[in-house]
Amino acid sequence: MSNEFNLKRKQMGIWFTLPTVIILILVLIYPIFASIVLSFQKVRFLGQGLSKEFIGIANYISIFSNHTFQSAFIRSIYFTAIEVVAILSLSLLAALLLNHPIGRHSFFRVVLIIPWALSPVANAVLWKWIYNANYGILNFILYSLGIIHEYVVWLGKPWLALNMILLADIWKGIPFITLLLLAGLQNIPNYLYRAAKLDGANTWQQFVHVTFVGLKTPLVISAVLQSIWALKVFDLIYVLTKGSPADSTVLLNYLAWRETFSNLDIGYGAAIANILFCMMFLLALAYIRILRPRQTRRGE
Amino acid sequence: MFYFKRAIGSLFIRLCLFVFVGVCLAPVLWGLVTSCLPQSALTSKVPDFNLRNFTLENYVLVLDSSRGLFLGLKNSFLVALFTSIVALTFGSAAGYALARLNVPKSNTILMMILATQMFPGIVIAIPLFLAMTQFNLIDTHVGLIIVYLSFILPIVVWIQKGFFESIPMDLEKSAAVDGASPLQTFQYIVLPVSLPTLFATGVFAFIESWNEFFFAIIMTRVNVKVSSIAIAEFSGQYQTLYGQMLASAVLASLPIVVLAILFRKFILEGFVEGAVKA
Repeated sequence: MSNEFNLKRKQMGIWFTLPTVIILILVLIYPIFASIVLSFQKVRFLGQGLSKEFIGIANYISIFSNHTFQSAFIRSIYFTAIEVVAILSLSLLAALLLNHPIGRHSFFRVVLIIPWALSPVANAVLWKWIYNANYGILNFILYSLGIIHEYVVWLGKPWLALNMILLADIWKGIPFITLLLLAGLQNIPNYLYRAAKLDGANTWQQFVHVTFVGLKTPLVISAVLQSIWALKVFDLIYVLTKGSPADSTVLLNYLAWRETFSNLDIGYGAAIANILFCMMFLLALAYIRILRPRQTRRGE
Repeated sequence: MFYFKRAIGSLFIRLCLFVFVGVCLAPVLWGLVTSCLPQSALTSKVPDFNLRNFTLENYVLVLDSSRGLFLGLKNSFLVALFTSIVALTFGSAAGYALARLNVPKSNTILMMILATQMFPGIVIAIPLFLAMTQFNLIDTHVGLIIVYLSFILPIVVWIQKGFFESIPMDLEKSAAVDGASPLQTFQYIVLPVSLPTLFATGVFAFIESWNEFFFAIIMTRVNVKVSSIAIAEFSGQYQTLYGQMLASAVLASLPIVVLAILFRKFILEGFVEGAVKA
């Protein structure tokens, strides 16, 4: 095609992209850099304005020697690791089930979409009610079945409360990853199974050598995405425990929010946010690297 | 023997499916039942499921205009609607340009968009909060919409770009041969075939902004209380009215769940698979 035509396309491309790029610079790129700057400052509210004072890496030093941060950091790692392993394995089972001829009915897809679509806060109050110590259905069922002998205060004990939040988050997270893996399963060409059968592979061998290999990329992507989401968890903590009992359910994202907007220590909160940001940035890089090789298909 | 084994296998699959449906739906159904029971039935020693107890009273009470929820639903609707419209307008243009027009550094822009999807909201929330305070945009619809664009706009660009790539290039080439300018091609060829996807992307953007909580709690106070905040407030009260709390949760979730079910095919194709296939 003519050069003039291509030039026109290029010009239009720039005009079409420009507004989005400008908006994203204002609401994403600028804040990211501003947040890095803030983390090296002591920021105080002074009447109407702010006082900012450069203090170098003092915020980071005090973070790393702070006990609350250390335990929030470890808990976040624990939370993320368990959540990723649990969601990936349960989602894989669910995806295999829904890919089975009997499970392919659209009814099951609808069922799967419901927990995903629930608003996170609605989900949080729902679980808060289920876990309720006096009238919660969980206590009632377990007590009636004789599994527990007295009602448990699910959100009242440090270690238990964290795991109950984890459980609710896992329930909410399974549908999306299942859908993702299901899409992956459907991308595995059927002839691979036929070939494996011809070679005498049994069901288990087919699973290991065809299904699992074919799902490698979706599984890795799920692990990366789910780690990012697990590190971001906020709504559930806010509604279920607000970090109690004794700060035992304070995870990094919640801590950064609390330091900034409750304790108004803006520089300190920004520093925590940036540490979280670094952790997630590494995961994001991993995600992009996994997708990159496929990018070559794009150009014409 | 073979048939016997097969029958056992299919029975096992059916059993698993049953458990699967139970696990997905039981909490939701329990929430629905709760929302239809009065406080007294919910706080008795044994939950009282007597059919005579079932009532819509909780719904009537929480929808009373003097309560926070009604205003919350209205605010959520306005914010989600305008966020979606703005994001669709700019995002689909950018998506088309990045997919089809020779934008300089288009790969860099795309990778940046993808990477920004993975930042924790708190990083941008702090400087945005300070900026919004300076411009007096805290607790305003406009302020919240601007902040929501930070995560909705990238999603829209990404989904739309994937979609525009799937339109056959020949369609556009033949329009060009017939002498159409790039803008005319976009206006008369590409846009009309894209309307259903645009709408579905809009629905997706709407769902995401409707469900948002984190930015809302930072950027709003009393004027622009969105529905998720109105619901969360129930759980913080001294004496929680469980039935009303769940009724509010149902009211805020129902439109979204219905939309998600109606558009599930699109969500599957456009978003879920988009996460795997860049």
